[in-house]
Amino acid sequence: MKKIIALVLSLVLCLSLLTACGGDSAAETTAPAQNAQTEGEAAPAETAAAADIKVGFIFLHDENSTYDLNFMNAAEEACKSLGLTEDQYIFRTNIPEGQECYDAACELVDAGCTVVFADSFGHEDYMIQAAKEFPEVQFCHATGTKAHTQGLSNYHNAFASIYEGRYLAGVAAGLKLNEMIEAGEFTAEEAKMGYVGAFTYAEVISGYTSFYLGAKSVCPTVTMEVTFTGSWYDETAEKEAANKLISNGCKLISQHADSMGAPTACETAGVPNVSYNGSTIAACPNTFIVSSRINWAPYYTYVINAVLAGEEIPADYTGTIADGSVVLTEVNEAAAAAGTAEKLEEVKAGLLDGSIHVFDTTTFTVEGAPVESYLADVDTDPDYTPDTEAVSDGYFHESEFRSAPYFDLKIDGISLLDTAF
Amino acid sequence: MSKQNNAPLIQISKRRELPWYGPIAIRAAAIVLALAACAVVTTAFTGENPLEIYHTMWTGAFGTPRKTWILFQNIAILLCVSLAVTPAFIMRFWNIGAEGQMLIGGLATAACMILLGDKLPNPVLIGIMLLAALAAGGLWGAIPAVCKARWNTNETLFTLMMNYVATQLVAFFVIVWEVPKGAGKIGIINQTTEAGWLPQIGSYKYLLNILIVAVLTAAMYVYLTRSKQGYEIAVVGQSQRTARYVGIKVGRVIVRTMILSGALCGLAGFLLVAGTDHTITTTIAGGRGFTAVMVSWLANFNPINMILTSFLLVFLERGAGEIATNFGLNHSFGDIITGIILFFIIGSEFFIRYQLRLRKNAGKEA
Amino acid sequence: MDKNTPAVSLQNISKSFGGVPANEHVSLDIYRGEILALLGENGSGKTTLMNMLSGIYFPDEGQILIDGEPVVISSPKDAFRYGIGMIHQHFKLVDVLTAAENIVLGLKEKGRLNMEQVAGRVKEICEQYGFEVDPNQKIYDMSVSQKQTVEIVKVLYRGADILILDEPTAVLTPQETEKLFAVLRNMRSSGKAIVIITHKMHEVEALSDRVAVLNRGRFVGDVMTRDTNAQEMTNMMVGHPVTLNIQRPEPKDPKPRIEVEGLTVRSEDGVLKLEDVSFTARSGEILGIAGISGCGQKELLEAIAGLQKVEKGSIRFVEDDGSRDELIGKDPMEITSMGVALSFVPEDRLGMGLVGDMDLTDNMMLRSFREGHSVFTDRNGPRKLAAQVVKELGVITPGLTTPVRRLSGGNVQKILVGREIASAPTVLLTAYAVRGLDINSSYTIYELINKQKQAGVAVVYVGEDLDVLLQLCDRIVVLCGGKVSGILDGKTATKNQIGLMMTTVGGTREHE
Repeated sequence: MKKIIALVLSLVLCLSLLTACGGDSAAETTAPAQNAQTEGEAAPAETAAAADIKVGFIFLHDENSTYDLNFMNAAEEACKSLGLTEDQYIFRTNIPEGQECYDAACELVDAGCTVVFADSFGHEDYMIQAAKEFPEVQFCHATGTKAHTQGLSNYHNAFASIYEGRYLAGVAAGLKLNEMIEAGEFTAEEAKMGYVGAFTYAEVISGYTSFYLGAKSVCPTVTMEVTFTGSWYDETAEKEAANKLISNGCKLISQHADSMGAPTACETAGVPNVSYNGSTIAACPNTFIVSSRINWAPYYTYVINAVLAGEEIPADYTGTIADGSVVLTEVNEAAAAAGTAEKLEEVKAGLLDGSIHVFDTTTFTVEGAPVESYLADVDTDPDYTPDTEAVSDGYFHESEFRSAPYFDLKIDGISLLDTAF
Repeated sequence: MSKQNNAPLIQISKRRELPWYGPIAIRAAAIVLALAACAVVTTAFTGENPLEIYHTMWTGAFGTPRKTWILFQNIAILLCVSLAVTPAFIMRFWNIGAEGQMLIGGLATAACMILLGDKLPNPVLIGIMLLAALAAGGLWGAIPAVCKARWNTNETLFTLMMNYVATQLVAFFVIVWEVPKGAGKIGIINQTTEAGWLPQIGSYKYLLNILIVAVLTAAMYVYLTRSKQGYEIAVVGQSQRTARYVGIKVGRVIVRTMILSGALCGLAGFLLVAGTDHTITTTIAGGRGFTAVMVSWLANFNPINMILTSFLLVFLERGAGEIATNFGLNHSFGDIITGIILFFIIGSEFFIRYQLRLRKNAGKEA
Repeated sequence: MDKNTPAVSLQNISKSFGGVPANEHVSLDIYRGEILALLGENGSGKTTLMNMLSGIYFPDEGQILIDGEPVVISSPKDAFRYGIGMIHQHFKLVDVLTAAENIVLGLKEKGRLNMEQVAGRVKEICEQYGFEVDPNQKIYDMSVSQKQTVEIVKVLYRGADILILDEPTAVLTPQETEKLFAVLRNMRSSGKAIVIITHKMHEVEALSDRVAVLNRGRFVGDVMTRDTNAQEMTNMMVGHPVTLNIQRPEPKDPKPRIEVEGLTVRSEDGVLKLEDVSFTARSGEILGIAGISGCGQKELLEAIAGLQKVEKGSIRFVEDDGSRDELIGKDPMEITSMGVALSFVPEDRLGMGLVGDMDLTDNMMLRSFREGHSVFTDRNGPRKLAAQVVKELGVITPGLTTPVRRLSGGNVQKILVGREIASAPTVLLTAYAVRGLDINSSYTIYELINKQKQAGVAVVYVGEDLDVLLQLCDRIVVLCGGKVSGILDGKTATKNQIGLMMTTVGGTREHE
């Protein structure tokens, strides 16, 4: 009898832990301040949502991956806010970047979906295959690069101007460095940041450069070291990379990879960390400063509404700070420099009104010279042929010619380690 | 002298002979028990109706014509790898390097598609791709076999390590051929020209793969049971000393068989890359090289039985995926169900070989 | 305790494996101060019966009484508690430990282990019964007979007074056998109950007080040894009268067939196995090879068959016209393709001569599967051959598709010999052709070998039973530690002479 009681108790304990965890992640997703705007857009669609629409979502992993969780939460939020019932949206999790993605997309079409989303870069080609086969169904792929050159009216890419979010996060990092310099922990010349990247891919280059430029805008002497792990999710490699950067003398770490490796390494070493994908404050209460992330809910809402209304969807959709796609978490006052939140509001206003451009060519040099012209590789091809002039009006036009980032200049002040990937 | 009767309550003894229906009945009972155990676990942990879960598993496998095709395609690839490892296993050469042999075969296929994509007519290109895949897989199988034959190295460790070498080679070439730069992905190769893609039979995307593996299954059955080489493999596996005694060149048989085994793994890689995925990634084999070990063992190394065992494993996998989708449960739940069912099926083998007898006078003792 | 109360009384014991009965309603009494010989053909259930006594199996039915009290023996530990100790055919000793360490291994005695005390107690036991054991000698340094002694001392040390020995003489020389018998007689006089499982009639006659006979799992009867004879016991064992004569027809026109000269062989780890061995095997003649087990017989036959690397010397096949072909450096395939019809019945039947998991047909195919140009095997010929062997040699098998592993040792041997002589050999090598076989099967094999001899085959017969070697062989090569100790004429040699030559090169006792 005692055993049974013990079993029941432990079950209850497990269940309560599970619900507690679930609660945490839910709280995190509703945190962004821009929600009001999202809901404002969603409101008029609610009447049409009763229509017979079915939406399919393809995710690379399941909710155990922070990357996919971010998408899953946004998808659920968008569907619920549009009044879709549970049998009107289908989640397919753990879909690898191969034929399985094509199969899953086709199965979703078989199940009656008229719009199918996929969340991982490697899904793109298989989504295109499916799009060719089912012209009446809309296929929307996040982070992809090929929609604007494919010429398919039912295949679309989406991204967000996350470089702006990272720029803001960089400002928070710069302020923290300034505070540490003032406290005499190190000199202004020693202000060096570390960055753990996944691949040497434009999305990552754009990300770390904007982060660096954000920091440099408040801490002009800052330099940065970037290392690459060759994987989007490799907890051990990310942790090792962060530790290496710390031992190289980096005073602050940020990352663009999806595991908790770098943040936990920072917490252990007591080094401030600017995070990505969402708040890591629970695991890193002493070192977490702020985190930027893409909120996909506005995009999902927009596309589903467009399908309902029978409107054309553009080949590329770039979410912005303004439409609530690019968001920052709350600043952790325990770790951030004083006045960070206020400064971030100020810079954000500047980004919104166009007085600040992240890739302002006056703020950086390449090999000692300012950049006046740059042909970017916007149209994807196996030979990486540069094709589009991206610099004009004194700044690099990121995410304008396609939604996915294509800024891949190697600017001064950033040194790259382990670039094999 | 009062002696306590401590005769064993349960006695285990080996069965001699079972009627032909005996093993079938035991396995059927195992499946029924497994389903019952799954039902208990399902209701206890999720509150879902177990019958509905089973129904969902069924629809996950056979729900639509497309699902059925995907099921058979997955069976075809898994069966192909299982057939590939079987001759080695019969020879007691523990080839757990099928994963690497598949990868390297796939890599060779992809290399031909990328490098020769626009330069050759498609039939020629496909022929070269096939040969390259067979050669690469065969080479990957031959290396540990030669070392085993020459220096009696441990083939289990060796083939396992070869998997990592293959994975790293693929990782290297993915970066060489990645599109776009820095992405760490190749994407679909020749998506516009479809050069090097296996032709589609009618409107059936996967039919060709399935037919190829069906023919291979029959061929492997005949090879193992009727050919002189198959007989040599069996003798070498049973006793290398006997093989030497009758003049079989053991080293030569080991190398020859492993080339065959590796080449067929390479064929599986070829079917994946040229037939369906049209790309190469480090994870394209998807653990099939290891699942194949189970398929082969469970089928007692009989190619015909392997159709059933590979069906069982793919069915469970597809069903588990459907459970995750339909009930919003994590994929792991499907894996739990699969684990329970496999536990019972593998466990039933014990009862086919052994019998338990309860102590006759157990009641009287108390 | 009353002398007439049996130390062990087995009552109505039955045991079956998967529906096949191994023992059926066996009742048997074992007395103290008596040596009981348990006789029976292979598969007659002797070992199974004794295993139930030593706790390895548990009977399905029946009762065991120790000193008149009903007991339950469900593990070897229980058996020890009742003073039952069994010495198995295969020794269970740890090679790297000393005799004394092996003896106390697994004993749970309170307090610190005092090895000196153990050694003292071991010495005591040895003196009492006349054993010769050095408690501090490592097992790997010991001869087979010494190892056996350690096994016996081990059970005595643990207080066993009921001893069961499973075919203890199979691995011993005649001299060692005599020593063992002396010890067993000492134990008998000190009141121990002794059971010895054996095939060898002369040993039964020499040693035992009483004989119990099993046939097909059933108890046939027991007789006092002095009231019976070998012929009668054999008849009881087999169930019908048998003749116990081995023929030795005169060799017809013997010609040299195999010339071995200066043969030296080392094992893989460099141990000298054969040293400068020379002899000639002639057609129409049986050449016996005698020696303690493991003194080069296996290497000698395998060298002739092309399975053993040779360091020095030559092995030549002599044709009828006198031309000679060197066999060294050729594998079995090449020897066959030279036209030398060489058949070999190896010592390790299921590990070398046959494939245990394959059926009769597939085993017949081992020699012939390469025939023909097809890539496919032809099973018709082998199937016919299997059927023929089964019929002619009286193999007892459920069918031609039964894996040979399932058959009894004698039937396995018949299949192997049947296959090897089916290819009409000119040279037949046999190693321990009757090891583990019962009387009936053994005589069948002797007959087959004699038939080959009369057909002009050069037979090389490696044997362990000196009585048989002396009756069967025309000439006997005695090996001692890899060297030829002497070559004797089978008609004039004596057992004692061979026994001495087996232990000392040349057969003199001077260096002992």
